[in-house]
Amino acid sequence: MRPSSTTLGLIAGLMLASPVLAAELTTNLPADPAMLDPITYSELVAGDVLTQIYESFTAIDAEGNVIPALAESWEPLADNMGFRFHLRKGVKFHSGREFTAKDVKATLEQLLIPENKGGLNAGYAELVAGADKVKDGSTTELSGVRIIDDYTVEISFDAPDVLFPLYPLYIFDSEVAAEAGPDWLTTVSAGTGPFKLDEWSRGQEVHLVAHEDYWRGAPELDGVHFMIVPEMSTALSMYETGELDVLRADSSLNRQIFSDAGLKDQIMTSPTAQVRYVAMNPDHYAPFQDVKVREAVCISYNQDEMIEGLYEGAGEAHYGAITPGVAGYSPDVAEIKYDPERAKALLAEAGYPEGAGLPPLKLNDTANNKTEDLYMVSKWQAVGFPVELEVLERGAMLKGMNSQQIAFFPWGWSADYPDGLNFLLDLWYSKSPYNKGYSNPDYDALIEQAKQTADSEARYEIYHAAEKLLLDDWGMCPKPLRLQVLLVKPGVEGIRLTPFRMLPFEGVTKAE
Amino acid sequence: MLNYSLRRLAALGLVWAVAVLVTFFAVRLVPGDPVMMMLGDQSGNAELAARLRADYGLDQPWWTQLLTYLGGIADGSFGLSYRYVGSTVFDVISGGLRITPVLALIALALAVPLGVGLGILAATRAGSWTDTGVILFLVTGISIPGFALASLLVWLFAVKLALLPVAGWGRPDQLVLPILVLVIPPMAVVARLTRTYMLEVLERDFIRTARAKGVRERLVIWRHALGNTLVPLLTSIGIIFGGLLSGAFVVETIFNIPGLGRIAIDSVLARDYPVTMSIVLLFTAIFTLVNLAVDLLYGVVDPRIRLAGDTA
Repeated sequence: MRPSSTTLGLIAGLMLASPVLAAELTTNLPADPAMLDPITYSELVAGDVLTQIYESFTAIDAEGNVIPALAESWEPLADNMGFRFHLRKGVKFHSGREFTAKDVKATLEQLLIPENKGGLNAGYAELVAGADKVKDGSTTELSGVRIIDDYTVEISFDAPDVLFPLYPLYIFDSEVAAEAGPDWLTTVSAGTGPFKLDEWSRGQEVHLVAHEDYWRGAPELDGVHFMIVPEMSTALSMYETGELDVLRADSSLNRQIFSDAGLKDQIMTSPTAQVRYVAMNPDHYAPFQDVKVREAVCISYNQDEMIEGLYEGAGEAHYGAITPGVAGYSPDVAEIKYDPERAKALLAEAGYPEGAGLPPLKLNDTANNKTEDLYMVSKWQAVGFPVELEVLERGAMLKGMNSQQIAFFPWGWSADYPDGLNFLLDLWYSKSPYNKGYSNPDYDALIEQAKQTADSEARYEIYHAAEKLLLDDWGMCPKPLRLQVLLVKPGVEGIRLTPFRMLPFEGVTKAE
Repeated sequence: MLNYSLRRLAALGLVWAVAVLVTFFAVRLVPGDPVMMMLGDQSGNAELAARLRADYGLDQPWWTQLLTYLGGIADGSFGLSYRYVGSTVFDVISGGLRITPVLALIALALAVPLGVGLGILAATRAGSWTDTGVILFLVTGISIPGFALASLLVWLFAVKLALLPVAGWGRPDQLVLPILVLVIPPMAVVARLTRTYMLEVLERDFIRTARAKGVRERLVIWRHALGNTLVPLLTSIGIIFGGLLSGAFVVETIFNIPGLGRIAIDSVLARDYPVTMSIVLLFTAIFTLVNLAVDLLYGVVDPRIRLAGDTA
């Protein structure tokens, strides 16, 4: 609290006989959210708003460390087949009701009930024992959740899972549905977070107001306006004229922002918790079975050149499978040196001198990254690969990729939760539905071991070993990380930009 | 006249039927599977994909899907949006429906009188500096693309002079720049047409007669001459209205107005095909109806056309 400014404000208000100006922060969203509820939630834009409204067992701090939130502590059940959570006492929902164990149970159940069309978070609820029964509609009782008392809940699984407390569930008020009817999802604010949903004007803005009873203390701001501005140049003009306090820029503005000396002190950047890679599937292009060919692919392009030439500097070289700021990241991963001469030598050693004998190869991607793809294709052609870019429509691309029908493509994966296992398991574990063409039984064994290792430090050691195996195998080629870029007006303090986008605004202040 | 109107309405029905079929099949011919698109990175999840396919009826044969589509148009919901979970297309576009037609009508209501005024000003002073000035302005107004004009106006009035807001919707001051950008091109077109028709009409015998009778010059211009330029002008208004609807795409995007144009562009980017196609249908309907209204108005403005229509 700042009593002096409050007093001054009061005096000014009395003198002008008008109310004190509310401290409202204004920022932009690149699209109208597809939804604003904790159940069907399935996209990043909606997540940027929802993260202000809803909370989970844990949260991350500005350094990316996992910290307790709605759970004060937790211990694994026998054989890592579940967790016992000790919930925080005195946490108030936006409705004023107190958060207790029954809300945890209801959240998990509602995510699974088929009519509710549970989105991204339903995947976490599916791990709970008895989820199948709720999913097929035969019951609404999730048998794997046991309420011990108001502040203790035990959640058991069908298979061991040590990361459950990290998953970003959006826990909501179980009594809201009964009170507000089936449409509560779009109309009611049912979280415990620092801000409450006030109004969503489709296509225009989402307005949040402060949750005065927030358990970490009332936010400094009175509210937040998320202005929906799809056109980035319009958003930049709005920032320049002060209509936005915080601008989330996309890469189309990089050149303008980084070349403007006047904006220099207002720029904030952070790498994204999104790993970017080139995938090579040996099942669809036989030469990829040879590790020398795969290495030749990976050392033929120059990350520094891409960052300077293609991203206007808004990138960071990256040589691993886990991105910085995500638990289990290893800073010791060896640099991959750009070396076209070595690439040519490797191709010759593999029996393809100057590419002779290599069947034609297609790099598939959507049109979004065409410039970057053409750069890489030209670099591969230079060392002898008979490669061409084939642009696919997004639907066709996703289908080809996920049914493992395409051989060679660049893609990315944004972390769903703050742990490196997300990348290692979903992308490169051979039994993952999202596997991108790498298959190695030793690697799979390490991942299975990691899934059952509750001790974080021990688990991270396994990640390092698995990552090294993947990289030594040249199982994929890492690409540079893209940076998130924010512009923050002078006078706005406390914005925390992490690899997981912006953290909730509870500590943000704005000088009038 | 009634006969003529009925025939025109029947033709309109045909145009709409074609539009409905084209939009229906266009969506299904687009490469890529909408369900894969909805799932994005999750599209490896076969179970989820099957559930969504069933939710949207995409597992049904095409004629069943066509019937569902027609049913959606009939009940006004226009089916389900791919992007907005659980929302109908109508929910998504209803806000825009209250914006774009209003914008287009305000722009039309301003563009026509201003354009006619400018055209008369130029025609009555043909060859003078005023005429040259007006022509210069008209050529510029017609030639500058809307997005360039919009950016220029934003830079000047919002960023440099800080007189008007950059973008947004809901306050009167937020209307000024978008309306200006929308008004200038059709106003220029109307003015140019008016000038040409006026110059032509002013040469006619009945004008000379009127002047010879001693009718005041103001009456000669505003009643005798202008009355005779209205028919060709009316034709152009139908086309201008179409231009305003498409101009809305640019203006709404740059000025961040949540109208049909911006919703259409957002839906294209998000591949929310049902929304895109419904807006295409709506624009087709609005455009054809306005043109029908214009055609029927001919009869009101010019009795000769009414007679010709009945004998034909």
